Amino acid sequence: MQKSEEVNLVNPVFTGTPEFPEWLLHQLLNIIHTPWRMSLLRGLLGMELIETSVRLFLDFQEKLASLDSALILDVPLGVISRIEKMGGATSRGENSYGLDITCKDMRNLRFALKQEGHSRRDMFDILTRYAFPLAHSLPIFAFLNEEKFNVDGWTVYNPVEEYRRQGLPNHHWRITFINKCYELCDTYPALLVVPYRASDDDLRRVATFRSRNRIPVLSWIHPENKTVIVRCSQPLVGMSGKRNKDDEKYLDVIRETNRQISKLTIYDARPNVNAVANKATGGGYESDDAYHNAELFFLDIHNIHVMRESLKKVKDIVYPNVEESHWLSSLESTHWLEHIKLVLTGAIQVADKVSSGKSSVLVHCSDGWDRTAQLTSLAMLMLDSFYRSIEGFEILVQKEWISFGHKFASRIGHGDKNHADADRSPIFLQFIDCVWQMSKQFPTAFEFNERFLITILDHLYSCRFGTFLYNCESARERQKVTERTVSLWSLINSNKDKFKNPFYTKEINRVLYPVASMRHLELWVNYYIRWNPRIKQQQPNPVEQRYVELLALRDEYIQRLEELQLAGSAKLAEPSTSPASPSPMMPHVHTHF
Amino acid sequence: MEFSDLIRTRRAQAKLLRGPEAPPLRGTLCLTGHHLLLSPGPQATSELWLLLLRSVDSIEKRVASDSGTITLRCKDLRVLQLEIEGVEASLDIARSIEALSSLESVITSFPFFYRPKGLRLGDAWHFHPPERYYKRVARETNAWRLSEVNEDFSVCPSYPRAVIVPRSVDDGALARSARFRQGGRFPVLSYHHAPSGTVLVRSSQPLTGPQKRRCAEDEELLRAVLAGARPGARGFIVDTRSSQAAKQARMTGGGTEAKAAYPGWKRLHRPLERGQPLQESFVRLVEACGDLQQSTDSWLRRLEGCCWLAHVKEALSTACLAAQGMEREGACILVHGAEGTDSTLLVTSLAQLILDPLSRTMAGFQELVEREWIQAGHPFQLRCAHSAFSHARPKHEAPTFLLFLDCVWQLGRQFPLSLEFGEGLLLALFEHAYASPFGTFLCNSERERCLCEVRTRTHSLWSGLNQPKEQRKLRNPLYAPNPLAIWPSVELQSLRLWQGLFLRWIRPPEPSEVAWEKVWQIVTDKEKTKLSQPTVSASEPQL
Repeated sequence: MQKSEEVNLVNPVFTGTPEFPEWLLHQLLNIIHTPWRMSLLRGLLGMELIETSVRLFLDFQEKLASLDSALILDVPLGVISRIEKMGGATSRGENSYGLDITCKDMRNLRFALKQEGHSRRDMFDILTRYAFPLAHSLPIFAFLNEEKFNVDGWTVYNPVEEYRRQGLPNHHWRITFINKCYELCDTYPALLVVPYRASDDDLRRVATFRSRNRIPVLSWIHPENKTVIVRCSQPLVGMSGKRNKDDEKYLDVIRETNRQISKLTIYDARPNVNAVANKATGGGYESDDAYHNAELFFLDIHNIHVMRESLKKVKDIVYPNVEESHWLSSLESTHWLEHIKLVLTGAIQVADKVSSGKSSVLVHCSDGWDRTAQLTSLAMLMLDSFYRSIEGFEILVQKEWISFGHKFASRIGHGDKNHADADRSPIFLQFIDCVWQMSKQFPTAFEFNERFLITILDHLYSCRFGTFLYNCESARERQKVTERTVSLWSLINSNKDKFKNPFYTKEINRVLYPVASMRHLELWVNYYIRWNPRIKQQQPNPVEQRYVELLALRDEYIQRLEELQLAGSAKLAEPSTSPASPSPMMPHVHTHF
Repeated sequence: MEFSDLIRTRRAQAKLLRGPEAPPLRGTLCLTGHHLLLSPGPQATSELWLLLLRSVDSIEKRVASDSGTITLRCKDLRVLQLEIEGVEASLDIARSIEALSSLESVITSFPFFYRPKGLRLGDAWHFHPPERYYKRVARETNAWRLSEVNEDFSVCPSYPRAVIVPRSVDDGALARSARFRQGGRFPVLSYHHAPSGTVLVRSSQPLTGPQKRRCAEDEELLRAVLAGARPGARGFIVDTRSSQAAKQARMTGGGTEAKAAYPGWKRLHRPLERGQPLQESFVRLVEACGDLQQSTDSWLRRLEGCCWLAHVKEALSTACLAAQGMEREGACILVHGAEGTDSTLLVTSLAQLILDPLSRTMAGFQELVEREWIQAGHPFQLRCAHSAFSHARPKHEAPTFLLFLDCVWQLGRQFPLSLEFGEGLLLALFEHAYASPFGTFLCNSERERCLCEVRTRTHSLWSGLNQPKEQRKLRNPLYAPNPLAIWPSVELQSLRLWQGLFLRWIRPPEPSEVAWEKVWQIVTDKEKTKLSQPTVSASEPQL
């Protein structure tokens, strides 16, 4: 049951750091912790530079903290997307004056402040500075973070090793360093795998015909039938229907790397109409008459703007209050699960073509860094069990997303205050959601657990690690990210047990085809609605639950032991007043006794 | 009447289609009094296919020039198609199935003929009588006694012979209280919660009627309930009807406990859906699940329109309320609706599952179902006569027991380690409640079961389920006893459609069974290395 009592902090204890002024020390604030229309709490709002990150925190007395962990607020400043002042000096009524903070992880926080003094302005300024360092010429927190781990996550992904694992180079595919200084394509990695028969000059000519020079390169090769998944951007066909002999020849060379196939399959991730519309801005798709030996299919996945709006609608129905009366139809009207379905369906088609259809596949969307990354990485996850291990998944993310230039900086907006930027979009979140759906359907196929996925998403925003910073490899290299920041994989790999699925059974060569029907997809409640305490503690991770249960058992035994000792001792002291077995699963039904 | 009168054609050549994943079977179709068999011929490798006719819920026939197609929709929600050579033969077979599957007589039903190898008649029938539960209660408190006032079922035809009642109330008072309760269902003990010293009691509605009648013995009985609990305990009456419906019931002789007549008791109304609307919700849900033509884009909206999950939510939250009343508030709880044989049992059995770790064991859960559903007089024969496919207008059908199983499944999903049994047991109970070779779910009450000699002439489902070969399917490999109460989240966001049941025959070969098997493998491997006990043991609750 939720406590809605008011808690008074007597002598708040706060350990400030020299970086942050005394205003924190004396400021006693009224805080409305709105999330779940919970309560008015008196607490101390503070900020501290702790070892791991700059975070906003509410300092409650320990007594309060033990009440309900949902009341403790722990918000890395990187998660903040927007800070607004609410109310003015003349605002009347309780809680009408304060700060409203929008977060990237589905939360909104409201802090009601007292109007006396100028505490709000100070607070607003400081928060803004540290939450949006880019606008204030301050470094992103990852560059200040001096955490040490016993493993170095930056060594997890080595492209040469990964391609060697796939059996590359071979007779048909070679590794090229043509992009060593990012002069062929500034958003591609330095190292690329291309057909053996295509010369570096061929590649340069193809690059002129592909949007942002993102030429078709190999992502994955099937170990047995040697069909491949190739990724690129759209061809620059334009209104006039331009053709490029080199590009046409290049695609045919790709097809011919495998003698069995008569046609190369091209999956254009976009809806047909969008692909056509792109011609107006110089883009387009491969037409039948220009590419005789190719078959083109559209996968109907919408663009970044549609996805952003869809997630916004999800947020509307889960935060601050969960839509109660028409939950399922409200969920349906967000279309979020429908988008998940389309992405998964597309990836299944890619995987199936390569595995059962024995045809090589070329995947692109417009620029080849959003939907394309989703499709290739998900298809690879279905096809190759290596990527279902913890390190394999890290390599997959590092390769298909980070090195191939998914624009993390623009899509997430690290340290940037422009919350309404049209470039922001939850494409990577959507990918992780698809992975979660797969892990639900194949509970023994993945080495990692749900916490692993949530941790990745949390640090997608936190700016504590360098892993997701910047838009592409060249920018990361310029900023010396691997030298100056810590990798998220360092955190994870130094404590792997926490992220392991106890039911993982390793299977080589098993292709996973998830069911992408609406009947079998569900909203990832443990992520999207995790801030709701009514749902939060109800579904503990099995491992964690067992832990809780074991702890409870232990407590019981200790209590019994104490009782026995008491009974045994000659002098009977006061009977212990330890409460009966505490139940950690709080009920969240309303009772009206 | 002989079965042979109803069988028009015994044999025909046929092809059987069992849904998308299973290959079709060809062979000779045979019809017996209780079964439909398909024998694939001597050279075939597959085994004999067998269907209990009782499990057929509806039949649809179509004929072509020289063959006919029969669609059988089964009570376990399977849909089968038979393609039969010969128009005449197919029509005859369809009519015979129709007649044989809807026979009403209990004593000619298959359980009376079923004699499986390895089981002895009467094996498990003494497995769970109320006496057994009373032994446990007696060890915890002295305030209750076992009464045989209903020895000959004359006081309450739907109660078992023995019931647990407050020690201070004598049999005469019980009989008079019974006359004041619908169907004679006077308040009896359902569960004693030892940690808080409180009890869960159930009954039917009091017959206050428009004149607001009272009954001194009934009042005395409820007073005794409070007196026997921890000192100072209050009582809550959880009425599973709306206060409006309860008031209306007075016009037809029913009603509710008047405040003044029952000091210490407070009434709460928690309306639960029952009867026909519940059956309709079930039918709509099954229809939606089976409708593969419809665009799946509106699936969630349609799922919502079925209201099934809303009923799950209401049932679970009412059970939480009752459990909370006992554990947190230290109050005694009386649950009743009108007849006290449906939603009442739903609430009391779920509340026990939440509070009582013993009821979450394999044996404890079986005992719970036996005690709180079968012996407590849930009219299985009436409620489960038809499942979701029947074209007949439902009369007394209602999937209350299925709703209970669904709620248990939700608990198991939220607490994956706390139930000793798995989805397999719940699915088995669903199947057997609707059509079974065992006698356990036959009839509507103990009285009827006695008249039909069910106990001596049929096998008990429990002895069937507790055979070692069944265990791997039924048990939860992850089970770790949890001594605490398990409080589920009852928000809609935390509830899921029970795919294992509702999409069981529709989904493509799902890896979930495979996963289940693998988890078993992992768990048993680990145990082997630890040299611990074998996992298959017919454990019984520790008493």
